[in-house]
Amino acid sequence: MFGWLISSPSLGLLFLVILFPVFWALFTSVHDYTLIAPNFDTFNGLDNYMKAAGDPEFRHTLRLTAFFVAAVVILEFALGFLIALMLHTVERFKSVYYAILLCPLLMNPVIVGLIWRMFLHPSLGIVNYLLSLVGIEPVNWLGSTKVALWTLVMVDIWHQVSFMIVLLLAGLSALPREPYEAARVDGASIFRSFWHITLPLMWPVIAVTLLIRLIFAVKTYDLIYIMTRGGPGVATDLVSYFIYRTAFVSLNIGEASAMSAILLAVILGLTAWLHRYMRSLT
Amino acid sequence: MLKKWMLAATLVTGLSGPAFAETVNLLMEGVPDTEYVKTLLPEFKQATGIDVNLEVVNYAEMHTKLVPQLVAPTGSYSAIVVDFYWVGEFTKAGWLQPLDERIKADNFDTSVYVPKMIDLVGRVDGTTYMLPFYNYAMGLLYRKDLLADEKNKADFKAKYGFDLDVPKTWDEYLKQVEFFTKDGINGVVNQGLRPDPIAMEWSNYLFANGGEYHDDNWKPTLNTEAGVKAVEQYATNVNKFGPVGSASFSFDEAFNVMAQGKAYSYITYNFFRAGIDDASKSAVVGKVEIMPVPGTEAGKGGSLNGAWGWAIPKSSPNPDAAWTFLKWVESPEIAKKRALQGGSPTRSDVFDDPDVNAKYPYAKALKEMLLTSHNFPVFTYTPQLVEVLGRELSLAVAGEKKAPDALAAIEAEMSELAKKDGKLK
Repeated sequence: MFGWLISSPSLGLLFLVILFPVFWALFTSVHDYTLIAPNFDTFNGLDNYMKAAGDPEFRHTLRLTAFFVAAVVILEFALGFLIALMLHTVERFKSVYYAILLCPLLMNPVIVGLIWRMFLHPSLGIVNYLLSLVGIEPVNWLGSTKVALWTLVMVDIWHQVSFMIVLLLAGLSALPREPYEAARVDGASIFRSFWHITLPLMWPVIAVTLLIRLIFAVKTYDLIYIMTRGGPGVATDLVSYFIYRTAFVSLNIGEASAMSAILLAVILGLTAWLHRYMRSLT
Repeated sequence: MLKKWMLAATLVTGLSGPAFAETVNLLMEGVPDTEYVKTLLPEFKQATGIDVNLEVVNYAEMHTKLVPQLVAPTGSYSAIVVDFYWVGEFTKAGWLQPLDERIKADNFDTSVYVPKMIDLVGRVDGTTYMLPFYNYAMGLLYRKDLLADEKNKADFKAKYGFDLDVPKTWDEYLKQVEFFTKDGINGVVNQGLRPDPIAMEWSNYLFANGGEYHDDNWKPTLNTEAGVKAVEQYATNVNKFGPVGSASFSFDEAFNVMAQGKAYSYITYNFFRAGIDDASKSAVVGKVEIMPVPGTEAGKGGSLNGAWGWAIPKSSPNPDAAWTFLKWVESPEIAKKRALQGGSPTRSDVFDDPDVNAKYPYAKALKEMLLTSHNFPVFTYTPQLVEVLGRELSLAVAGEKKAPDALAAIEAEMSELAKKDGKLK
């Protein structure tokens, strides 16, 4: 009882800033609520959900987001784990490496987008200039439907990979030393001890890292907004940016809320599945 | 602990002091015309004792920042600037205060405004909601030094059989685009980014081909010969005669290509005419001129009109002070001072002012651009139409949709929006 009493202020605060908006959005999603007529006069049941689910543009953005998330999470994890393993064995200048690696992570995504937009300017940017020095033709980074999404994946990796590194490194340094010593005495190679000791021991950390990154990746919005606006064509139209447009350009808050609810359900389902799958591995 | 309390107390007393002086809060876009207003604010403070707090943001942030403030019973902005394509939405939602009574009470003369301006960002269905602030009709920036070059003249004549000169028609211009794509220079640079850069620029292509968005009954007229030609020409200009990547350029990136001397021409907002002569941004000072986008025949313009208006939102915390500011900023002398810094006028008296014309010889071209320009469809769902245009045009430029298919998709969604708004029966 006393425990509840003590924690009630923070619980109340959590309710206000997290649960209330969620319920408000769910409530809005079953009404015809637009910013032009902001009222709950018309209850329209699942209309907004049906409309969203039947909208080919919305479905396209969901598919594209799934691809984008898979690409950034897998690539960032692979790269991040590799760098974390390398850094783990480093003895000197560790803090210097940390400082350098953390720089991108500390930057605001909007700034990251603007900087890269400048770097990637096809004729006036530094990236194509450097490529031209080694004889590579100018790359159409953001203006080609085939390249633009990968450009965003690359920028996202640049921005977010340190997040993976830091979390995985923390996990690595918390591992016990004894199993490794025993393995060395038994003559196990580095790869074998990685495969049979490091990986199994790291699973919980890896699971959490992947989960957090996945959830954040689904919400990617700032980079798209700054760098491509969903274009060229519909090549980079991620779901968060689409929902934003439905809410603030079309002013259709009801339908945007329904889309958000669908997205929330997808993320929750995915999280639960991944969580259980990772559990089963350990 | 005590220290903290003392600090808090000092802060509170310190902050509450200036709150008593009247302040007009404004949200404006970071464009040259806003800068001109900024330089004159001390004069306003001197004349009225009212402070002005300017919040200047990027265009993309404006709509998102405005809407929550306009919906609120009392917002934080005393007065706002309204882009022409929000006009339908803002007035339909009832977010703006009618200004007619204030105009009448103060005998403010609105007859000096160019009628096209009042239609676009002044009056809606007989009620005045805004005072036109500045116009940004689009024009054709072109390199006059390249046109004057003797070798170019001879080569052009040999290739096309007529003289190289300032283009009189749209077809002449397209030939020049093709001709000047050589020697590391592009014939044209486009702003192909979704949604408004491409939608606004392409509108000029539509008008230049003699097309319009809709007929008198709001039935879309895009999937026509003119519309298809406009889309195909736009895609060709981006993909064949433009620099790599212009399909993703916003106007600042496209302007930089022009300003670095890497393109012969660029169809863009009139305020870049002043920017191209700014030596800190441009390598082609004195070599570029602006003209109305040429049309199907000489004398017919293909420019897209555009403008911003001053308005007082219903949610304004201090509408009286806001009106004082509007009256001041749109008074003949302040409007003239803004124009003398390079601002683009909306009032005929400023357009015809001898001092303005002496300082900016291209003021005449700007006026002609405005007079021969075409208006974009203004209704409640204009922002959505721009979004649809951006998506479909971008798909067409990327080669993922044929021009007639893209136009058919735009027409379908445009009809639906116009029906929803009661414009199309």
